[in-house]
Amino acid sequence: MRGTAAATVLALALLACRSSSPADEWRAVLDLAGGELRFGVALENGDSGWRGELCNGAKCQPFSAVTVGGDSVLLEMADYAAAITARLQGDSLTGAYRNVGNRGPRVIPFRAARGRWPTSPDPGRLVGRWDATWMGDFGTSPRVIELRHGDAGLEGTIISNTGDYGHFAGQVQGDSFALTHFDGSYVYLLTGELGGGAGVPDTLRGLFHAGLRAQTPWIAVRSTGGPHLKPLTENTQADTAEPFHFAFPDLEGRVVTERDPRFAGKVVVVDIFGTWCPTCHDAAPELVKLYQAYREQGLEIVGLAYEVSGDTGVDRRQVRRYRDKFRIPFTLLLAGVNDTEAAAASLAQLQGFTSFPTTIFLGRDGKVRRIHAGFYGPATGAQHAKQVRDWRQEVDRLLAEKRPAALSP
Amino acid sequence: MTHRRIAAAALLGLAWFTGPLRSQALPPDIAEERSAHTEWLASAANSPLAAVAQQPVGPGVTLGPPGADLPLEGVAEHRVTERNGMVTLKGPEGSRVIPPGRSLVLGACVLTSAGAAGRRVLTVYGKNRKAKTAEYYPYDRGLVFTGPLHPPTQPGRVRVLALDGIESDATEAGTVVVPLGDRPVRLRVRRIPTGNEDEAELEIFFRDDTNAAGTYPAGRFVSLIPLGAGRYRLDFNRARNPFCAYSSAFPCPAPWRGNTIEAKVEAGERYLGGGLAAPPTVPESR
Repeated sequence: MRGTAAATVLALALLACRSSSPADEWRAVLDLAGGELRFGVALENGDSGWRGELCNGAKCQPFSAVTVGGDSVLLEMADYAAAITARLQGDSLTGAYRNVGNRGPRVIPFRAARGRWPTSPDPGRLVGRWDATWMGDFGTSPRVIELRHGDAGLEGTIISNTGDYGHFAGQVQGDSFALTHFDGSYVYLLTGELGGGAGVPDTLRGLFHAGLRAQTPWIAVRSTGGPHLKPLTENTQADTAEPFHFAFPDLEGRVVTERDPRFAGKVVVVDIFGTWCPTCHDAAPELVKLYQAYREQGLEIVGLAYEVSGDTGVDRRQVRRYRDKFRIPFTLLLAGVNDTEAAAASLAQLQGFTSFPTTIFLGRDGKVRRIHAGFYGPATGAQHAKQVRDWRQEVDRLLAEKRPAALSP
Repeated sequence: MTHRRIAAAALLGLAWFTGPLRSQALPPDIAEERSAHTEWLASAANSPLAAVAQQPVGPGVTLGPPGADLPLEGVAEHRVTERNGMVTLKGPEGSRVIPPGRSLVLGACVLTSAGAAGRRVLTVYGKNRKAKTAEYYPYDRGLVFTGPLHPPTQPGRVRVLALDGIESDATEAGTVVVPLGDRPVRLRVRRIPTGNEDEAELEIFFRDDTNAAGTYPAGRFVSLIPLGAGRYRLDFNRARNPFCAYSSAFPCPAPWRGNTIEAKVEAGERYLGGGLAAPPTVPESR
């Protein structure tokens, strides 16, 4: 009897201890005007202090810092100068996601309850590749929506002419679905409903929510395999008559140009990126793998960073952090600011530069052979695999080209 | 007043109606927005309260000595120019880019550039004046409306000054009808890009009988919130001042034609002085 009482006291104490600590898994929500954006948060208090992760389905990324003081919880996402501030009340967290835009703070209500989001049922007929049309105020624009049944239930991505919107995860209820992507910067919710069947072609209709309030209607039909988007290689062109020219400082402030001996006679891949750009984060590991696989055979890669602040010290720190995060062994240069027009102006040989990242393949003579505008991230599955394969084939092809006569051994 | 509004709406068979008059407590999301806004006004380097000048870059702007376009105490002569959308600051220490919508430190000042390429605008910030930041009317649940957004009679693009005095390429989004005053008023709604990719806000720039008698003389902005299924919420408790209310460095948006409410909208942000003394009088061109 006394043992039972002691066990009860211990259980109550543990329960009290658990409920007073944010160390747990959380079903988190950003309350957008058009609905709930659901994601996961996991927090733990280890030997080295508090840490945590933000999860879209099974894909998670660490918070840059987690601070817990009393009932206050601060979850920071330094890459995007954003944070979630929340107050712990028993089994719930309530507060807001904030970052600062040009016209003041961007504030989206945040709430969370202990536990994990349930895995959604088999999405059935939703699975597949859908040719979608975004219907804006003044015309339409194409997208591809890929939906699949993943480990965490419904997963997928949205692909545009310049790459993908990252990994989406969500729930299915009957013929309706909601997919979300929240990475600390981009706030996306895709809601839709399946129509058709019984002799009528399958159709998806829904809304694409961006940020707190922007909503774009869309409609999609099942892809027949025909082209719906422009290939990534058709968006940006370049002057191919002359070697591709660049001259920017490295992270120690020394100006590096295409004439630097490290590039002489080599196949060079130029990666135009920014540490603020989530798609660039998807591309970085693939570039590292490409470099490791082909460096010995004569491949060199140079990353041109277009950053946010315009303050050399701040931008240099951000790029160093990016280099360390992805263990990038190739050269990174600080090229400018993250404005497509400004970037285009700094690389005069490019025509139609529109997107971050853009990957430029140079032959051994330094001239442009191919340009990929955008990047299909891992969330695009087959598209991603094909792009990685294409990159390797391109590098194989360029390495097989004859060296320019003046540079032959 | 409320009964009159509902009666007017019922009489005209309008889809707009006031929400049920339950709690007058400030909803947490509005409290959070106000707290973030107040904190930003009080402490951010690019707070409108710290602004000392805003000027189109045009063919070039000189900064620094007393004879410069923008004299700045303790700053050597500098020149700001725009080429291919890139705004550059040149001075004795060399050239630096001012990224759109971001900050660059110059001595005791902070510079930003914003707006469309070819029409970039330079804003110079100094020390925050630590003036009163923002005050609001008590929350009024009776000034929250829901209803449809009617399509625009003349769809099209229009250049407007946004909240921050920067020219923005907006689109006509339609109109809403609100039962305020003696008869329902039709308000023009425009979709204005926020600067974040894929994001925009449905905005209404309106005037009412509190202007210059509690609220900013030139009028205020309020966002229309999409609720789904063709329904929208218009909550005048979210009405906020254009930046010209905080500092005369910012130009004020011209009133939007027709967006005048002949009643007192005693909700949202009040005017505490410090901005332009008088409302603009130039009517909108279209």
